[in-house]
Amino acid sequence: MSDLVVDGLVAGYGDVRVLHGVSFGVKQGEVCAILGPNGAGKTTLLRALSGMVRTRGTATLGGTELAGRSPDTVARLGVAHVPEGRGTFMPLTVEDNLRLGAFVRRGRAEIEADLDRIFTYFPVLKTRLKQEAGSLSGGEQQMLALGRALMLRPRLLLLDEPSLGLAPLVTRELFRIVQAINAEEQTTVVVVEQNAHLALGIAQQAHVLETGRIVLSGTAEEIRADEQVAQSYLGYRV
Amino acid sequence: MAGFLQQIVTGLGAGAIYASLALALVLIYQFTGIVNFAQGELAMFSTYIAWTLVAAGVSFWLALVITLVVSFAGGMLIERIVIRPVEGAPELTIVIVTVGLFIFVNAAAGWIWTFLIKDFPNPFPGGALELGAVTVNFSTLGVLGVVGLVMGLLYLLFQHTKIGLGMRAVATNPASARLVGIRVGWTLALGWGLAATVGAVSGVLVAPLLFLEPNMMAGVLIYAFAAATLGGFDSPVGAVIGGLIVGVAETLAGAYVGFIGSDLKIGVPLLIILAVLLLRPQGLFGRAAVERA
Repeated sequence: MSDLVVDGLVAGYGDVRVLHGVSFGVKQGEVCAILGPNGAGKTTLLRALSGMVRTRGTATLGGTELAGRSPDTVARLGVAHVPEGRGTFMPLTVEDNLRLGAFVRRGRAEIEADLDRIFTYFPVLKTRLKQEAGSLSGGEQQMLALGRALMLRPRLLLLDEPSLGLAPLVTRELFRIVQAINAEEQTTVVVVEQNAHLALGIAQQAHVLETGRIVLSGTAEEIRADEQVAQSYLGYRV
Repeated sequence: MAGFLQQIVTGLGAGAIYASLALALVLIYQFTGIVNFAQGELAMFSTYIAWTLVAAGVSFWLALVITLVVSFAGGMLIERIVIRPVEGAPELTIVIVTVGLFIFVNAAAGWIWTFLIKDFPNPFPGGALELGAVTVNFSTLGVLGVVGLVMGLLYLLFQHTKIGLGMRAVATNPASARLVGIRVGWTLALGWGLAATVGAVSGVLVAPLLFLEPNMMAGVLIYAFAAATLGGFDSPVGAVIGGLIVGVAETLAGAYVGFIGSDLKIGVPLLIILAVLLLRPQGLFGRAAVERA
């Protein structure tokens, strides 16, 4: 039984349609990778799920409709979206950024406990608490963005190109943490990624998006074994 | 020397008033990137509300509280009704809308209260504090104190409350603020309400010094623009310090630069605006638009 059910999702900007009816499901606690070339609509898919673009079709999380709602409402339903560019509040401190992640939550004690929990995943953030977020390195900012998303205690985590602009070593570390988070918190994750290797390494299911349509779906192993995917996105022949 | 210090004290008193209106301008600019040309007129309108209440026999301080509450609601309402429809429109469109608001509010005040000048009660005692050769009016002290209090309250709101944190988030990255669940539309309205309230304080402080009439704030608005430009349009602290500097500069120029006198004083803010835009466009405390990627 899928927790996130996307059915016939259509989305775009103005008159330009980017997604042409995308359907897939993600089980509770699973990681789903969305692969595909530039301009396939990967980012738009995440934006459609979090209400940042107009949509038609449905997307339900635990039976609750997400499609057609505003981003702030979707966030209140437990969806944390780490957007393209990380969405950092640059002039604010690291601590403010993290606390903003819990903006819609009640319960001070729990929020403080969650802050501590996030420092166990990202110890570096604790040493930078009072620093302006804009002064962090790219990798640290990506960690901050993940930390901010976790502060929502999300039921669904949407990650847009977490590897973008980061050194390979930093990226690997980041994916390791995403995997740990997914394992420990049982958070459902949809990750959009150009680096198919990394994404397939932590995902159970994967879908390949091309020009706004899903052209291939399967388990991470199946996708990795697919010759065409191997050629197009993994950079080698099977 | 005593004369010089006296001029500085007078300048600080005037500057505090410019600072309060500049603070209102900066509040809205920070949230929305909009320079609200109608800010002074809204302050004037609020002052008329206070005057009406006082004229009806309400005590000054109660009238002030009611005025601030009404101004807050009015500011929010204006954002929802007038500004919301042009949200995201080109800057020129929004500027024209606020200029239109300026004219509308000005005309509405004239229509309701006529253009005849009215006496506005001074809430502060009439005496003065003698510090050696320098005389500081209680009303100057009162104005400085009120502006300081407003600053302090805004600081507490922004730095130590959850609503304030949300407002700062909206000011820096509205799209991301939406993604963490902040209702950005309402936050913007809140910013307008807050600015209208701060502006109302400014109007009530000005009115006893000038006379209450619909064009009362026109001059003050120009000084407030100079103050905000000097301090940096995105810095509340800058707005206040900018206001004080502009007040002092204007008073000193009027007193010591022979050909300026009291007639050309209004030229001083223009010079300040020009000089700042040429030398340091982001202002003294503003943030230059450079960020690490």
